[in-house]
Amino acid sequence: MTRAWVANGLSRDLPAGVVMHGAWHGQDLAIWRSASGQIAAWKDRCQHRGMRLSHGFVRGETLSCIYHGWVYGTSGACGRIPAHPGLVPPSAIRAEAFACCEKDGVIWVAPAGTEGDVPDLAGLHPVRSLTVEAAGIEAPGLTGMEILQGSVMIAGQTVALGLVLQSLAAGRTAVHALCGGGGDVVAVSRWLEDLRRRLERGVAA
Amino acid sequence: MISQAVLGEWYPVAMAALVDAAGRRTLLLGQEIRVFRDAGRIRVTADAGDLAVTERFGHVWACPGTPARALFTIPEADHPGRRLVDCGVVRVKCSPLRAVENFLDIAHFPFVHTDILGAEPHTEVNRYDVKIREEVDEVWATKVHFYQPQAAKSAEGGIVTEYMYRVPAPTASVLYKTCPAMPGEWDVIAIFVQPLTEELCDVWPWMALYDDVTPQAELIAFQQMIFLQDRSILENQIPRLLPLDPGMESPTQADLTSVAYRRWLKRRGLTYGAQMVAA
Ligand code: FES
Ligand SMILES: [Fe+2]
Repeated sequence: MTRAWVANGLSRDLPAGVVMHGAWHGQDLAIWRSASGQIAAWKDRCQHRGMRLSHGFVRGETLSCIYHGWVYGTSGACGRIPAHPGLVPPSAIRAEAFACCEKDGVIWVAPAGTEGDVPDLAGLHPVRSLTVEAAGIEAPGLTGMEILQGSVMIAGQTVALGLVLQSLAAGRTAVHALCGGGGDVVAVSRWLEDLRRRLERGVAA
Repeated sequence: MISQAVLGEWYPVAMAALVDAAGRRTLLLGQEIRVFRDAGRIRVTADAGDLAVTERFGHVWACPGTPARALFTIPEADHPGRRLVDCGVVRVKCSPLRAVENFLDIAHFPFVHTDILGAEPHTEVNRYDVKIREEVDEVWATKVHFYQPQAAKSAEGGIVTEYMYRVPAPTASVLYKTCPAMPGEWDVIAIFVQPLTEELCDVWPWMALYDDVTPQAELIAFQQMIFLQDRSILENQIPRLLPLDPGMESPTQADLTSVAYRRWLKRRGLTYGAQMVAA
């Protein structure tokens, strides 16, 4: 079964005014945050001439395509075509929106209209994301993503850990890490670096 | 299967001055070819034998099938006083047709060639004339005007530049633009696109200018910079192939040249590098 909600990074890594590339089961997405903090995820394709919207730029509450500057509002509707400043763009011109929400500091995307709950990581706080280049780690992520939760001894301390895996491509997985309240973020971050090294060397964690 | 229409066209395969006896191995329409000098004469060969060859505008042109017509002309190339500039080659991971279409497009100047060929808020594209000149079977756009902060190497400050665009072959385009150094004349800039495969091409920019001031290296560097900016777009359009199916993309009045180009390709069956049905 295809998981509806796919993690696409940590909220803190997408500041206001920034657009990034994302994906939902192989479908490329543009995920961006407006100046006021509103987040949106769209198909990564401008309807005009097919340019990737993730290469665009954010101004205020809009995302502009980098090719000809078409301006899209947070709803996905195109509000302005710079080549024709006097024209009100037809309502059919719009970006194809995905559902996008943030919970426990993680950005989640799903097809528009997806019902059902976003995975729960209550009690955990975001630490960092890192990309692992290793074939083995894909296995648990066959469905596109998986969540690993448990306790680990880090620097002599028991830390509650949540690892959200996001499959990026064959052999490339993003790991979005969260830890419990008492966790030493710096120590956890180091532990994650070490985990990556071990995975990339082919040694099971 | 590649259609006869596609095989009967001329395609650039090398810069003539660079072809030596050892030659260049390259691809044309997905097929391996060799371009080399043999007793002073340039030959282009494939597995099946020699291709029809012609040399013009500093480049070698080959036709993989039976030439449907002679290679187009650029009369300005023979005008005395013009400087002919070969700008080298830029390899782009896109359909050769997308590369041509981008060359025909002015609306992107303020966003892709910011502060060089265009700048906000001067983004408006006014109506211009487009037609297929039936007698020569070429796409022509005329009376195209656009504000440019720095139209050419020899231009200082912003000016409204007038353009004419021309598509004389499926993978070649010629533009004529107001010449800052010589009012009343046009600078000529062309791109010759070699279709390596349907999704990979070599773009050879070429110019015939009235400018005997700017050093050659500077002219080439300027043109290369412009094309590298275009490449960052061309390699990120989805799909890679040029959609000929209306409905897949949304053109506006500013895109009339591109609309005519797509229609012309479709009508003539020049669909190598094109996508016919929405995927
Ligand atoms: S492709 Fe996006 S504005 Fe033209
Ligand atoms: Fe351009």
